[in-house]
Amino acid sequence: MTADGGSLSKVQRWMMSALIAPGRVDGESVTETFLPGAQLDAASCLGIYQRSYIIRLRICLMGQFPATLHALGEDLFCDFADEYLRTCPSDSYTLYELGRRFAAWMEENRPDRDLHPEEREPWVDFMIDLATYERMLFHLFDAPGHEGKPWPSIQTPDNELILLPGLVLAQFRFPVAWYYHEVRAGKSPLYPAPVQQLVAIVRKDFQTTTFPLSPFHFRFLTSIQRLGSIDAALEEMALWCGRSLADVQSSWIADVRQGWITAGFFIRRNDQD
Amino acid sequence: MDKVADKSEVQSSHPDPAFELLGLGIGLRNCHFDHILAEWPEVDWFEAISENFMDSGGRPRWVLDQIAERYPVVLHGVSMSIGSTDPLDMAYLAKLKKLADDVSARWVSDHLCWTGILGLNSHDLLPMMLTEEALDHVVERVRQAQDVLERPLVLENPSSYVQFQKSTISEPDFLRALCDATGCRLLLDVNNVYVTCFNAGTSTSDYMKAFPFDRVVQMHLAGHQHCGTHIVDTHDSPVCDDVWQLFRTAWQKTGGAAVLLEWDGDVPEFERVHAEVLRAQAYIDDIAPLPEQMVPQRRKTTTSTPVDFLVPNVMNDSRIQIP
Repeated sequence: MTADGGSLSKVQRWMMSALIAPGRVDGESVTETFLPGAQLDAASCLGIYQRSYIIRLRICLMGQFPATLHALGEDLFCDFADEYLRTCPSDSYTLYELGRRFAAWMEENRPDRDLHPEEREPWVDFMIDLATYERMLFHLFDAPGHEGKPWPSIQTPDNELILLPGLVLAQFRFPVAWYYHEVRAGKSPLYPAPVQQLVAIVRKDFQTTTFPLSPFHFRFLTSIQRLGSIDAALEEMALWCGRSLADVQSSWIADVRQGWITAGFFIRRNDQD
Repeated sequence: MDKVADKSEVQSSHPDPAFELLGLGIGLRNCHFDHILAEWPEVDWFEAISENFMDSGGRPRWVLDQIAERYPVVLHGVSMSIGSTDPLDMAYLAKLKKLADDVSARWVSDHLCWTGILGLNSHDLLPMMLTEEALDHVVERVRQAQDVLERPLVLENPSSYVQFQKSTISEPDFLRALCDATGCRLLLDVNNVYVTCFNAGTSTSDYMKAFPFDRVVQMHLAGHQHCGTHIVDTHDSPVCDDVWQLFRTAWQKTGGAAVLLEWDGDVPEFERVHAEVLRAQAYIDDIAPLPEQMVPQRRKTTTSTPVDFLVPNVMNDSRIQIP
């Protein structure tokens, strides 16, 4: 049967709206819908659902953004979270998606959004970058990974190596990875000054590790990701920096190759799903 | 109270041989993963929250796979939204079926509730208006779900804080009719019965008299917060005496249902949770239970249907490699 237009559908739409926007519910509709409880009137009974709705999801957001919570402080974080949950209610069966739009929402709703970019408050940029980084970590934590499959060794030829499919390359306007791990260590870091941070984030053996990168290495990894080939990326890097291919290859082998393979940046091409 | 039967006699008379007599189980929680993997404790079975593992490609799913190799596992969902007037999420059901097959789930349960509408999810177990229209609607959806899952669905009575003016069927009668029409089974949460009846001002005795115990394959136990004028189902404390007494009566009537303790807020150490569910054995055997162990109270808020335990502590598994 379809409940479209039926009383079941109607009451569910009404109750969902009452949870998300409790201020819009009129008392008459509440008493028409619910009986009074044993010791509470109908509005108070509904109020249990309304209060729990926002508190429950706010606590989940706190769990997904612990460093942003630390940076904003609990009161301000809750203000942001409550407004976010009102304008972007969960649209997924899994709570893991609850924070998916949080950083974008912060960007769209920043208090100085009407100002010229150069006049905007840098702390807002920091919060947006920090929330973006936390979301990346949260996603990577439970994303498909390479655990249980063989990893390449330093003897594996370059043409058999491809980047770990889940590897994340990201750039930020602030050292958010440093800030995050200071909070993780139980410290109370101050807001950092703006400085570009380029990172690779890798999960190996269920441990998520952030590797700060130089601009050169970031560009190199981006090339590998785009071209799907280390050799092609080396050629592109040689052209870009005006060095010989042999020089760039030598630097790759001597300076980073072993470390990146050991860290789990690569898998063997034949071992991908 | 009903005459207490001998446990072995009760178990042999369990009316539903398709469902195993699993014993006393514990809800699988992220914070206990390391302990379980290190100690492999003597627990009869585990109940895993379906949505936490359906899409998992990380450690949670790996842990569940390890556990499923050593213990019976039951899947318990919180987002099937069987009562919603939105279309059933067939992709969700397909993932649930695959997970259930992968971990050899003894059964798959969810709640008689709706969790959202218009594509939104409240992540709460929202109450059904219990009418003939709702019964027809839920019957059709349970059939659809069972067709995808290729097994009977097990549905739990939720805690409720409201009663609808237009409801025309009692919850026990609704569940009985649902079982008759679909062949689904029931998960009886005696704490939810206690919470719902207190809040509505109705009798737990009347509820239990009307309940179709012959369809019950599992029971839930949990703690709640008594707020004076109402009770909130918080799952953050030991089971109270009144609920234990309900359990004692109800378990005998089920003929040996599997028993599961839920502890979702301020989750204590594994041993404390395990000790709480083991207290059930005394009520099953009708002997004096061991004294309750103290649990520090830390929670600042009283929230129904806590779900933050579903969010993993990602920070613990993250590090930065300083060059």
